[in-house]
Amino acid sequence: MKKLFAILLALVLVIGVFAGCAKQTPNGETGDVQTPTLDGQGEPAPADTNAAGGSATSGDAADEGDATEDDVPVGASDLTLALVVAGSFGDRSFYDSSKQGVERLAADQGLKTISIECNNENHDAQMRNAADQADIVVCVGWEFYEIESIAPEYPDVHWIWIDNATEAPVENVLNITYAQNEGSFLAGYIAAAMSKSGVVGAVGGEDSDTINDFIVGYRQGAAAFSADTKVVVNYAGTYDDPAKGKECAFALNDQGADVIFQIASATGDGVFEAADERGFYAIGVDSDQKYINDDVIICSMKKEVGNSIYDAVVAFLNGDDSRWGTTWVADMSNGYVGIGYGEEGAQQQVSDEIKAAVEELAGKIMSGEIKVDTTR
Amino acid sequence: MNDILGRIFSAGTFQQMLRSATPVALAAIGGSMTEHAGIMNIGMDGMILMGAFFAVLGSFLFQSAMAGLALTLGVGLIVGLFFALLVVKFKSDEFIIGCALNTFALGLTGYLSDSVFGASGAKGNPSLLVVRLPFLRKIPFIGTVLNGQSILVWVTVVLMVIMWVFVYKTPHGFWLRASGEKPETLRTAGISPERMKWIASILCGLFCALAGAYLSLGQLSGTFSKGMSNSRGYIAFACVIFAAAHPGKAYLAALMFGFFDAIGMRLQAYVSSELTQMIPYIITILMMIYVVVRQNNRRRAPRKLQGMAKS
Repeated sequence: MKKLFAILLALVLVIGVFAGCAKQTPNGETGDVQTPTLDGQGEPAPADTNAAGGSATSGDAADEGDATEDDVPVGASDLTLALVVAGSFGDRSFYDSSKQGVERLAADQGLKTISIECNNENHDAQMRNAADQADIVVCVGWEFYEIESIAPEYPDVHWIWIDNATEAPVENVLNITYAQNEGSFLAGYIAAAMSKSGVVGAVGGEDSDTINDFIVGYRQGAAAFSADTKVVVNYAGTYDDPAKGKECAFALNDQGADVIFQIASATGDGVFEAADERGFYAIGVDSDQKYINDDVIICSMKKEVGNSIYDAVVAFLNGDDSRWGTTWVADMSNGYVGIGYGEEGAQQQVSDEIKAAVEELAGKIMSGEIKVDTTR
Repeated sequence: MNDILGRIFSAGTFQQMLRSATPVALAAIGGSMTEHAGIMNIGMDGMILMGAFFAVLGSFLFQSAMAGLALTLGVGLIVGLFFALLVVKFKSDEFIIGCALNTFALGLTGYLSDSVFGASGAKGNPSLLVVRLPFLRKIPFIGTVLNGQSILVWVTVVLMVIMWVFVYKTPHGFWLRASGEKPETLRTAGISPERMKWIASILCGLFCALAGAYLSLGQLSGTFSKGMSNSRGYIAFACVIFAAAHPGKAYLAALMFGFFDAIGMRLQAYVSSELTQMIPYIITILMMIYVVVRQNNRRRAPRKLQGMAKS
């Protein structure tokens, strides 16, 4: 009897895990969840709707297609879009940017949306889970390799793969990759221009092609400012360990780096903390992260994941699905990659002269006068 | 070459060694208690993660790091009780319960973090006191290394000594060890081994909560991120086995991990990061080889360990 009880308790523990695994996020009114809730209003009100959705589906969410669907605006499209992210939300960067794009789609276009966080596991199962419920599936993260074999199994579903591309074109998959090397070139230039020590640093999430694409651009940009600039790099080996990110930044600072570019999702939060503690500068990534700490974050290398999803889906809703089956490189010329200096009124460290020089360089990159190296 | 060595053995390296070692050491001291009591506790990673979350939650709700510490210790107590309930009272398989605890913690903290802090997570809440002693500043090198560390770094050393004395010098410590090695003998002496196992589980829960609190409130300034324990609980478990559950040796083992972590980060300037990231795992394997060799040489390690070496 006791054993049975123990087994049951253990079962409850295990099942409880799925509540966090595949949480369904209702669309529309949760936009304010994005803003940091550090301003003292401790009420968990906006996220309560998530709570209901999450716990109600705490069973085998991977198998059952019980999505939480909110009321949609009148006259809205009756399509459902599923956003599947490889990691989890809350990085205030890459994944959160995709979520903002999808939330805008929900608000403007009236799409029903579902959000699924993979927490770095079960990518295949979550892709199928999403495809069972949705007409458009957006997979955010280079990890979704199996899209190549899974997408053809769901011919009616339109897939979008962010940050990577299938080996051969798949008819119903749109690959979106980003010219992060071009934006990072500008970030490297700014870093070198702002550095007093002549040493600039970068903390990467891991030693992979996508991350190194940032880094080659960053190096080249730093060299474009002055050939004497030294670039030091280390990799945290994880995307969700801010403590490790902080240590990485300290280690680079010990080597003299006084401007550090973070390319590590939530690990990068530690880089900002280190910058604040030791008084050096940091550069944000993917989203415009200036608002996190405008004392130390001088600018951000924006990779507009959300906007690119938004534009691709809007084009599709307007009847243009010509992009599917191809790889679309979202680059600087179409505005999806660039440098952000924060919202209006944010404290500025980068001088107008440097900003003007950056503008000029951006123009040269777009016209093809400057070729930025890439690992893609 | 001198330049490289100078960079690797800088004050910054040793500062980081202490910072990186502290959460592992705290968990390892807690894990030593359960190990002595004959419980193989692989659930420490989840316990640390919960500790990190509830510390930030308390710090956020009451805008005080001490409140965060108090809340997380309370939750650590409950987690320890719960673990003991399943493992000691219901005699479930500790391995399964440990695994379940880890995944449960990941789900629970991720879910609560979304609900309480919103999608952006918790950043920049009140953090623990940083100790800066004026007299230390005068000592070169060592002063730089020791100054400016979180108070929990110091508390860990004190706790390590206390637990060392507790395990090897007090009757309760003796009973604790007996409850793992010779439970029937202990029962004959009129002391319940189960009671000692309960105490060990609760202590482990408390220590892991402290480890988590250090991670989120000491090393970071009130920041929680999903899955931030990042396998530190498993490293702590390796330390426990390596140290044969001796709190002092476990602390040293954790320091060693911290040291190689710091070295690895600085070596990345010269060798590939993939190689440097293997360092902790290579160390673990070397440690385990040492453990096996040690057991073959003198069969004095707790019974539990010998059982593991065979399997």
